[in-house]
Amino acid sequence: MGEAYAHPEVLVSTQWVLDHLDDPKVRIVESDEDLLLYDLGHVPGSVRIDWQGDLQDQIVRDYIDAEKFADLCSKNGIAADTTVVFYGDKSNWWACYAFWAFTLFGHESLKVMDGGRKLWIDEGRPITRETPKPPRTDYKVAGGDEAAIRAFRDEVMTHVRAGRPLIDVRSPKEFTGEMLHMEDYPQEGSLRAGHIPGAKSVPWSRAVEDDGTFKSAAALRAIYEGEVGLKPADDVVAYCRIGERSSLTWFVLTYLLGYPRVRNYDGSWTEWGNLVRAPIERGAGA
Amino acid sequence: MPAALDAIIDELKESDRQERIDLLIDFAKNLPPLPPELEARKDAEHRVEECQSPVYLFVEMIGDRVALYGEAPAEAPTVRGFVSLLLEGLNGASPEDVLKVPGDLVDLCGLTEVLGMLRVRGLSGVLRRIKRDVARVAFAHHSTP
Repeated sequence: MGEAYAHPEVLVSTQWVLDHLDDPKVRIVESDEDLLLYDLGHVPGSVRIDWQGDLQDQIVRDYIDAEKFADLCSKNGIAADTTVVFYGDKSNWWACYAFWAFTLFGHESLKVMDGGRKLWIDEGRPITRETPKPPRTDYKVAGGDEAAIRAFRDEVMTHVRAGRPLIDVRSPKEFTGEMLHMEDYPQEGSLRAGHIPGAKSVPWSRAVEDDGTFKSAAALRAIYEGEVGLKPADDVVAYCRIGERSSLTWFVLTYLLGYPRVRNYDGSWTEWGNLVRAPIERGAGA
Repeated sequence: MPAALDAIIDELKESDRQERIDLLIDFAKNLPPLPPELEARKDAEHRVEECQSPVYLFVEMIGDRVALYGEAPAEAPTVRGFVSLLLEGLNGASPEDVLKVPGDLVDLCGLTEVLGMLRVRGLSGVLRRIKRDVARVAFAHHSTP
């Protein structure tokens, strides 16, 4: 037996999900990069919550407000005491993003299905194209501690000046500044390439195995502590390009390794790479 | 614009959100497999770099008509559906007609509304890539004595 995750209760297995498909206290939520996957077939009874269409404000670059969040939960049959289990494509990248966004609003019981959509399908578990019609709830927003998990640009500037740790989770070429965007991805509009000074490069995908499950606690510690020298007591900021990939890293550091102070800089490179006079580094870094 | 593509655009335009999603899924399911001889030629040169997923495109001329072949993974049904839609809409067209396809095709089909702005950029890249390759292949074809 290796070291256990710090908060093992946030991860559930595909079998657990199968056993709880009819549990009225549990709502399964699919969140994907590719919107069509849910329509192709999903975990029976699961609803779709889209990071872009549902969780982001369509005008201001921010998340929806508390009222809209309450409506989103109510119409998806989520009550304040519902256990919400996220899963999705790309090793739960978007599932972790939705998890992070739900945390912003202070929803209490959140989990991720380890292995995500891929593992569920690879294991031959049931999928359906039927969209559930959960009875509407009257969701009351608890209100989360945004400051604890979200970093804004001025705070990141202070963080850089204080020499505190930053984790850049983008691909190596984005980090060095050779590319403005992830290899094979459309670029999302930064005028300068590189990374935030002092940031260490740990691409988000290093936290997951090929089958879509998270790596063991020991393997994760070897990367984040052994390779880039993070310490559990550190005040850590993670960022990527628009704040999505880094929410997976936030999830890993916070729940799997138990770091008490991790924030996601959701402005990320799209904001920093456009900020007038913001300091930038290029190359492989320290 | 090729008539086949015109008909597809009309159908998508007249559909509601869920119908558009279902149409795109049908396209994704109906993408024909690559012919074996092209399967062996899947390399960086034929990969659409603008796309998030490994998408491969091949353009040939059969007589004076364009022949298109493509591949996109089943785990990325959006891009797979769009590649399939383009293949169906553009195969057998003249190079001139392909080059006349409007660059904002994704918008014209109402897909931006369905997918959201951040998701459609890779799709536009597929069309740009097809036009570039068609221009190149058609030119080479014409110059061959």
